[in-house]
Amino acid sequence: MSASAQETHDPPAAGREQALRQVEQFIYREARLADEHDYDAWEALWTDDALYWVPAGGDLTVPAERMSVIYDNRSRISTRLAQLRTGRRHAQDPPSQLRRVISNIEITGEDHGDIIAAANFIAAESRERGVELWAGRVIYRLRPAGNELRMAGKQVLLVNRDQPLPTLAFLI
Amino acid sequence: MPVDGSGQVPVLAADRPDYRRLIERARVHSSVYTDPQIFADELARIWYRTWVFVGHASEVAQPGDYIRTTIGLQDVIMARGTDGRVHLLLNRCAHRGNLVCEAQRGNAKSFRCPYHGWTYRNTGELIGFPFNQGYGGKGTIEAELSLARVPRVAEYQGFVFGSLAPDGPDLAEHLGEAARELDRLARLSPEGRVELTAGWLRHRTRANWKLLAENETDGYHPQFVHGSIFSVTGSPIGALYSDKSAAVTRSLGRGHSENDLRPEFRKAGEPMRWFGTTADRVPAYAAAMRAAHGPAAERILIEGAPHVMIFPNLFVAEIQVFVIQPLSAGECVQHSTAVQLAGAPELNRRMVSQSVGSVGPAGMLLADDTEMYERNQRGVAMLAPEWLDLRRGLARERIDERGLRIGGATDETGMRGFWQHYLSLMEGA
Amino acid sequence: MTTPADGPENSGSGGTVASEFASVAAAVDATANGPRLRLEDLRTGKVRFLDALELETIVWLPDGHLTQLLDPSADRWREGPG
Ligand code: FES
Ligand SMILES: [Fe+2]
Repeated sequence: MSASAQETHDPPAAGREQALRQVEQFIYREARLADEHDYDAWEALWTDDALYWVPAGGDLTVPAERMSVIYDNRSRISTRLAQLRTGRRHAQDPPSQLRRVISNIEITGEDHGDIIAAANFIAAESRERGVELWAGRVIYRLRPAGNELRMAGKQVLLVNRDQPLPTLAFLI
Repeated sequence: MPVDGSGQVPVLAADRPDYRRLIERARVHSSVYTDPQIFADELARIWYRTWVFVGHASEVAQPGDYIRTTIGLQDVIMARGTDGRVHLLLNRCAHRGNLVCEAQRGNAKSFRCPYHGWTYRNTGELIGFPFNQGYGGKGTIEAELSLARVPRVAEYQGFVFGSLAPDGPDLAEHLGEAARELDRLARLSPEGRVELTAGWLRHRTRANWKLLAENETDGYHPQFVHGSIFSVTGSPIGALYSDKSAAVTRSLGRGHSENDLRPEFRKAGEPMRWFGTTADRVPAYAAAMRAAHGPAAERILIEGAPHVMIFPNLFVAEIQVFVIQPLSAGECVQHSTAVQLAGAPELNRRMVSQSVGSVGPAGMLLADDTEMYERNQRGVAMLAPEWLDLRRGLARERIDERGLRIGGATDETGMRGFWQHYLSLMEGA
Repeated sequence: MTTPADGPENSGSGGTVASEFASVAAAVDATANGPRLRLEDLRTGKVRFLDALELETIVWLPDGHLTQLLDPSADRWREGPG
């Protein structure tokens, strides 16, 4: 333990460690809000130039010209959440019971001041039709804003995105 | 004769149900959605006999292009030969039956089976196999072996259909009045061509395929199933499907049906309203259409795109195309993509964007339809009341000037047409 | 300044042509006295060079003739000493 304790005295390493902690805390919170259908708090995480993208199939080029499972800008995110809030979105009425585990969190890069982070997840979704297991990789674009992070991008690469998928009406 | 209360399907001597007792004019028996034997019968009498949509010519635009698709439970390769023609082959090696193609799409003029290396032209002929002395050398058995070809392949407006029956009605006869609706779609392209090149979403659905086929032109459900999204977007679509709507439901014959929304759009008289916009917001498109169609453009832009279900598996819903792939009595896959119109780049991206929002597993419209299909499938497994009611609008149906049966916007005229054709196929010789 | 020699067709860069059935790297090779196409079967590492005249010949091969070469027993998986 002493060796690693020493490492934390190294300023750049400490900075990296702190950044990673902040990213992790953000990701865990985002996951919890989505699991618990806290639509208002989840919506507040997003920036105005948000992009929430769940691709289908293997082709990740020109998403605006290809069918995606979800390809929401900020206004489409609002619409999606507004539909959920009506309580009459049948595919989420009742809402799915959800818990996801997020791991392998890494800061993979930086782009115009945004932090790019990636993680793997497994989510269990329970509905009357049964328990659905979802898994994949998430790539986040996180924007420092004061002491906080906001989410400018979330890309969810489902492991089975090239296969037929069941209904995916919760916030993945 | 009604089915007795035992929930048992009446069985003919040949061990097939008596479909006349399960499908009446204004009701159908639940067992047609749940009975595995009936599903097997449908494969033989519908899916492996009639014309089934397999893909669009634009999906195999270049020689050597191929995609994997299906007819019923059959895995089918759709390939563009060097002769320029579209070929449909069953994806099964003539040696020991391995799948020959694994990729969903690619470009290859020949296919080599990964199991023992037998090699085929993309038109089906066997070119050869490794170590041919084991077969007595070259040219001994190649001619008698090939990939099985779907015996009949035909296209209409680039929509490719295959029939596993060597003979029967041709595609023109099968499409009948529904052909015009595909014409209507193609006419919305300034170049007169539809393309399906945006890729497909595939949505696994635990419901019988017929619940989907019936729902496609059910004008009764939108206000209820889609009320949530209509209310948050202020969409005028709900009003098109109400008792006050001038829209009609039309049975097009041969199991095809449509919701004809043109009477409503004509009343409004606004070009592009069908697309939820105005002509001045898509000026390049409007100009291209006026250049292509002259004075007729106005009417085309007002009337918009069709909403037509083509028996048994193709559904054009204005700017989307859906395909129903049956898997079993209780499961199917919905494929969906955005219509793309040649010469209309201004519209194409918007059509993708709107479609991505609406359809597929997370679609703000289709996820709710699918929730209904899946609950419906569980409901029809209950013992009583054994029947699904189809009488809505029966008393107010009439025959239009084309000799076709029409009902109100929310009437079940389309479903009754579907069942009539279904019965003729299931009971026919 | 860009000269024709800087164009991708002369730069020695190439690409991979792959399908589920085969995977071949292709590049214009400039190490010999004249340019030639270097093809590498990425599944086995086997390499072949094709000069301009050989390529022209392939372009002019009738489809049926080319197809015969695809017979696995024609050359690659052939029994016996022959
Ligand atoms: S099964 Fe295809 S080559 Fe043997
Ligand atoms: Fe619907």
